[in-house]
Amino acid sequence: MIVDRNRLPEEIRDLPESCFEIVGAEDIRDEAPKTEAIGFFKDAISRLRKNKLSVIAFWLISLVIVSAIIVPYLTGYSYTAQNVALRNLPPKIPGLEKLGIADGTRILTNRPKDSLREFPADSIVEIVREYRINNVEMVDVKVDYYAYAGVPEGEYHWMGTDYLGRDLCTRLFMGARVSLLIAFFAVVANIIIGVIYGACAGYYGGKVDMLLTHFAEILDGLPYLVVTILFMLLLGSGMLSIVLALTVTGWIGTARLVRAQFYRFKGREYVLAARTLGVKDRALIFRHILPNAIGPVITRAMISIPGAIFSESFLAYIGLGIKPPSPSIGILLSDGQRVLLQYPYQTVFPAVLISVLMVSFNLFANGLRDALDPTQRGEI
Amino acid sequence: MTEPTYLLEVKNLCRYFTSGRGKNKLTVKAVDNVSFGVRPAETFGLVGESGCGKTTLGRTVIRLYDPTSGQVFFNGREISGKMTADLRRYLTENIAMIFQDPIESLNPRMTVEEIIGEGLKVRGVKDKDEVRRRVVEMLEKVGLNEEHATRYPHEFSGGQRQRIGIARALIVQPKMIIADEPVSALDVSIQAQVINLLNDLKEEFGLTILFIAHNLSVVKYFSDRIGVMYYGRLVEVARGEDLYGKPLHPYTRALLSAIPEPNPFTARSKKRIDYDPERDHDYTIEKPEMVEIEPEHFVYCSPSEAARYREICRSAVKAGD
Amino acid sequence: MAAERGKNDVILQVRDLRISFRAYGGIVQAVRGVSFDLRRGETVAIVGESGSGKSVSVKAVMGILPPNAIIESGEILYGGMDLTKLTEEEFHKIRGKRIGLIFQDPLSALNPIMKVGHQIMEALILSQKMNKKEARKRALELMEAVGIPDVERRFNQYPFQFSGGMRQRIVIAIALAGDPEILICDEPTTALDVTVQARILELINKIKEDRHLSVIFITHDLGVVATMADRVNVMYAGKIVETGTSEEIFFSPVHPYTWALLSSMPDLETKERLLSIPGTPPNMISPPPGDAFSVRNRYAMRIDFEKEPPLFKITDTHYAATWLLHPKAPKVEMPEALTARIERMKRRAVAHD
Repeated sequence: MIVDRNRLPEEIRDLPESCFEIVGAEDIRDEAPKTEAIGFFKDAISRLRKNKLSVIAFWLISLVIVSAIIVPYLTGYSYTAQNVALRNLPPKIPGLEKLGIADGTRILTNRPKDSLREFPADSIVEIVREYRINNVEMVDVKVDYYAYAGVPEGEYHWMGTDYLGRDLCTRLFMGARVSLLIAFFAVVANIIIGVIYGACAGYYGGKVDMLLTHFAEILDGLPYLVVTILFMLLLGSGMLSIVLALTVTGWIGTARLVRAQFYRFKGREYVLAARTLGVKDRALIFRHILPNAIGPVITRAMISIPGAIFSESFLAYIGLGIKPPSPSIGILLSDGQRVLLQYPYQTVFPAVLISVLMVSFNLFANGLRDALDPTQRGEI
Repeated sequence: MTEPTYLLEVKNLCRYFTSGRGKNKLTVKAVDNVSFGVRPAETFGLVGESGCGKTTLGRTVIRLYDPTSGQVFFNGREISGKMTADLRRYLTENIAMIFQDPIESLNPRMTVEEIIGEGLKVRGVKDKDEVRRRVVEMLEKVGLNEEHATRYPHEFSGGQRQRIGIARALIVQPKMIIADEPVSALDVSIQAQVINLLNDLKEEFGLTILFIAHNLSVVKYFSDRIGVMYYGRLVEVARGEDLYGKPLHPYTRALLSAIPEPNPFTARSKKRIDYDPERDHDYTIEKPEMVEIEPEHFVYCSPSEAARYREICRSAVKAGD
Repeated sequence: MAAERGKNDVILQVRDLRISFRAYGGIVQAVRGVSFDLRRGETVAIVGESGSGKSVSVKAVMGILPPNAIIESGEILYGGMDLTKLTEEEFHKIRGKRIGLIFQDPLSALNPIMKVGHQIMEALILSQKMNKKEARKRALELMEAVGIPDVERRFNQYPFQFSGGMRQRIVIAIALAGDPEILICDEPTTALDVTVQARILELINKIKEDRHLSVIFITHDLGVVATMADRVNVMYAGKIVETGTSEEIFFSPVHPYTWALLSSMPDLETKERLLSIPGTPPNMISPPPGDAFSVRNRYAMRIDFEKEPPLFKITDTHYAATWLLHPKAPKVEMPEALTARIERMKRRAVAHD
């Protein structure tokens, strides 16, 4: 609004005198801040909580981990007990079976109608198809496979059994346990080695960096599979040797990242300021550079867990994995793949589990990356 | 032994950056044969445009970079030689630095108290209460208060962050401060806050300051003597009034003529001078060096230029009579 | 008379513009009722510090506000249209053609992988529908007009091969490609060295003369304002707090914020203590009631904390939004340091002539 001092509108002209008393301070100091002081990690966690996908992913991962710990005890089956008579049972889940899902039935194809007489009592559910081949009556018959195989009443296998009659649910979560442990140790080892190596290269720079980087580059050039096989041959199979094999070249990526982060951060003005104050190298690395540089490293660690699980699965798949009868997700996938077309469920369950794990870790890692990003501080 | 005239003395300091090898070797002479001195309790301003090497010079003095050649003396002691633990301690006890970028110069993971108190911890002040007390004292000196101590840098404005940086530098009671563009990244009205603060603290603590900036008006306002840098060399050193009243080196004149004046009557008709090193100098025969044209007024020039400049100063004196 | 009318024609009018942003913490009121005019052939400066809303206001004129910006109300009248109501399509006819824009950072305004000559040509082809041959010729002419030496060779170079000042000249050439009648300069020299800045400002003034342009110039540097502007708008916290001719603002300012701006930067002759503004600019998510400047204003009156001041008229060209201009307000003098400085400036002006 524009007003002419000589022709003021009423409401402005008639403002009381008291309004025009000068109250402005001569010495205005900075206000004390009004909100809570939030540390960096608390801030990150609160931002992480707000990211719904990450929260869901976190709970999924926790669910899998908890299951891996307790399910093998809950099933009541051992992961090694073989009973060839009970092999390749389809999944049967109490409750759902009444809905027709996971009811332990299977369709047997191309049976002569006559053979139906020899089926165990009450194992035949229905005849799906009748046809003739060369004047012989043939049927496709749906059977309650549990009755058919002579499984005692009340014995359920939620995920069925494998080719040796071992309960797959127990084996799957035992396998999850093994895979997660291997992945965890491999990643931790990679992070520790990678951080130390990369920090030295990045912080000291110059000749030290050149030497360290060249060595890492040479190591990286070695074919991953050849190295792993050699290690497995040397150390035999077993969890320790797999962890070592995954670590041999796994730390290189982290070292590169840490080195790059150190280069990025060591020239920051607050690091220079600390140097001018006389702060020693160790404190510079651990108090100034590392806390700020660690974000992407944590994210990378999260993402490499599913990668490690996948690597272990791959090794198991090509026969270099854990010694049987110990299961791992990879071994289960490998076993299941052999009978993929006949008994798809033996592949589906481990595949679903590993997919859930990988997607969850990825989502969580993404959420973590955003939460740890210092540029987004104080935004919410 | 008598007190040296200069608290900080820089002699033929060079700082080169090289990259590449053999035929492709590239040498950037960021600081090229610079010599000057700063007296106790004096403020020496270093001014120049981007690429002139003033920031590199400041960082070389405080040994964030090592000199390529030349010497730096502090209070008579050489600080440009081999770095020993003793020399490092001497440097950190006597010279502190204030940085340019208010966002980058504070560690986002540390609280204000930790940031300011770090200098004390390095000096062995272990008592937590003592550290707290001195940090709060410093905060109040820079216009903040105790509640700010537990906060994180991102909660503060640019001007406040610079003040925290100043507190951090001063708490260790250095004899000299190198201020590297402390106000360039701030809004105009906030710049005044920080400049006033620096002036007050300068008075109170009797500080010697090396003030590096690209804004000549601010440098002149704040400094006693000024050095003008151009591509790694000091081209003119003089007291503020002399630099402004009798600029001799053609670059200084070009710089002064380019500054936009906040005066609408004169701003538009101001005549701008160009500086072209090829055109304005002829150093094929005579080689230039730092020459004292009149007391306390040095110019980087050849002997014939020096003679010309002396003449200019003489006639300026006569005109003043 | 026709010539006079043409000279004083108002070609752009901003009326009570209000713009907010949707941000994480809430709604930021960036522009809270800004009005100004641009007349043909004049340069209007908008001065303010960061957060004052000066950039946002002109981005609205060009239709380049970010997606989370909302134009709450107000009008921008140009060429018979209200620019606040235009669609992106319709803006294509204006942006680059009738209104040109020069940004602060020339490096990000140029495509790093395209030859500079081609970037100018592209602007020409898009805005004036030239064919390649004509566009090339015209691009070379423009490069010469903005003072780039050795144009034939430089035409085929990439932005990284130019210095900051040269890049800005190319940005100016591109802005001129559409033959605009209005040029908006958003802090075009803030990132440049002072000697380079002087040349660019000279260039802008020259092309303004040559092409009879009208210029809106945004800056925080009062020296630049004095060099470029005919009229000045001072912004604080999303509002224009004082507006007037260059002389009125520099020699007879009345708003305490303008006083502070003028006294907070030293010139080459300042010796007295600088007048600083204590505190920090306000949080625009919840702007304080009344005059936003009141919390930092040592002359603030009771009413400053309650009601926003209207723009009081001082002369036909000079207005200020401060309750100090109310007849009932106490007489407050400019700070001494500022009065002394203005005297000094006037004396220099006389000596100059």
